Amino acid sequence: MSDFRHSIARRVIVVAITATLLGACVTSRVENIREGNTGILEGEGIVIMAKSYHLGNETEAKFISCVGDSIGRGRTGLRVVPYTEFVDALFPWFEPRTAPAETKGLPTLMSRPGVAEMIKEKGVRYVVWLDGDTDKVAGGGSLSCAAGPGGGGCFGFAWWQNDANYEASVWDLDGLEDAGTVSADVSGTSFLPAIVVPIPLIARTQTKACNALADQLKLFIVSEEIA
Amino acid sequence: MLGMAGCAGSSVKLENPSIPEPLIAQLPLKVGARYPEVFDSFVHEEQVIGKEKWSIDLGRANRILFTQLFGSMFTEFSVIEGDADVRDLGLDALIEPSIDAFEFSVPSQSQTDDFAVWIRYRIKILDADGVQVANWPIAAYGKSQTTTFGGDAALQRAAVLAMRDAAALIILQMDKATGISKLGDAKNANVEPQPDMPPADPDQMNLLTTAAKESHDE
Repeated sequence: MSDFRHSIARRVIVVAITATLLGACVTSRVENIREGNTGILEGEGIVIMAKSYHLGNETEAKFISCVGDSIGRGRTGLRVVPYTEFVDALFPWFEPRTAPAETKGLPTLMSRPGVAEMIKEKGVRYVVWLDGDTDKVAGGGSLSCAAGPGGGGCFGFAWWQNDANYEASVWDLDGLEDAGTVSADVSGTSFLPAIVVPIPLIARTQTKACNALADQLKLFIVSEEIA
Repeated sequence: MLGMAGCAGSSVKLENPSIPEPLIAQLPLKVGARYPEVFDSFVHEEQVIGKEKWSIDLGRANRILFTQLFGSMFTEFSVIEGDADVRDLGLDALIEPSIDAFEFSVPSQSQTDDFAVWIRYRIKILDADGVQVANWPIAAYGKSQTTTFGGDAALQRAAVLAMRDAAALIILQMDKATGISKLGDAKNANVEPQPDMPPADPDQMNLLTTAAKESHDE
């Protein structure tokens, strides 16, 4: 009996180590395309919003919050104006139906009564439009669990792959122009082996995409590199 | 106040939503609005086939929405109760909003994480003489994800977004679609009816509607 328990324990440890090594399977690619000068002064801030669902965009609200939190964090964090505060202050000009889809619409927007003054009051220099989402693109395996009076457990192996593709368009409200685009493409595979006890090894694909995009956005906005 | 009825569905109540003060130039008009009874208590239910039943109680949300909206759009605005004759009210225009249709979808129907709400309003406008000069249908839409707010809160949020969408649409297009700003000019102009002109036939007056505009554009 003791040998049997040792055997089970050894198998669990082997599976756990193997899955741990495989569980770090996250690949990421971050790019930026600069179209204009950036740079941000003391007191200036940014607002991060999702492109309108009227245009078919499906960016998750928690991803937007994650990017905002990440950009605002730390000593080098930027001032991020909450998007609900910005949208309410500029009602109805940034509603899903009415928000400008291109920078060509910015001069008209800024000429509307009160808009330029409110944007100045909020101290918003850049609007960052997020587009994209995280999808499960592959998966397999099977897992079954059972429980009885003597105990229970799970056996099997499942895996799935998530792809997180996001693009951030940066609009400069000073020059009323498109400053450029930052994109993050992250792919991660998660595993769920189970020998009696399931051992979830989750690739945090969306979180990785959030942090990668936020870091690159911060660099992009702060840098005064000439396009 | 949100209610949860377990696996049998859910009942959501919209508590007095408000729209932000819009950044617009007010139209210099004296306008009244008369609301239908359904604006005081509106409940919509949907039974997902084979699954749960959902209901949403808008309560007085529509009345509150349009009162806030028109109060922001016009320099003088009042709510008209009862069946008072427009000609006795001294208004430039009387607006009569109503709901033509209300629908929503839940994740189990759409196979997504989203709650979506569609509202179709109808805006009728009468001039100072009580003649209908516009009959404008508008379609509004709102969507919210369940993973962020949970089921009940997401449906509530989608309804609020749909109402904000309607407000934004009305602010942007009402004057263009209905010509309401001209009613103030028409009322103030002292136009004496000519003896040889036949009286205006209300049935023949040009009803400004989005549908009419669309057919003209085609």
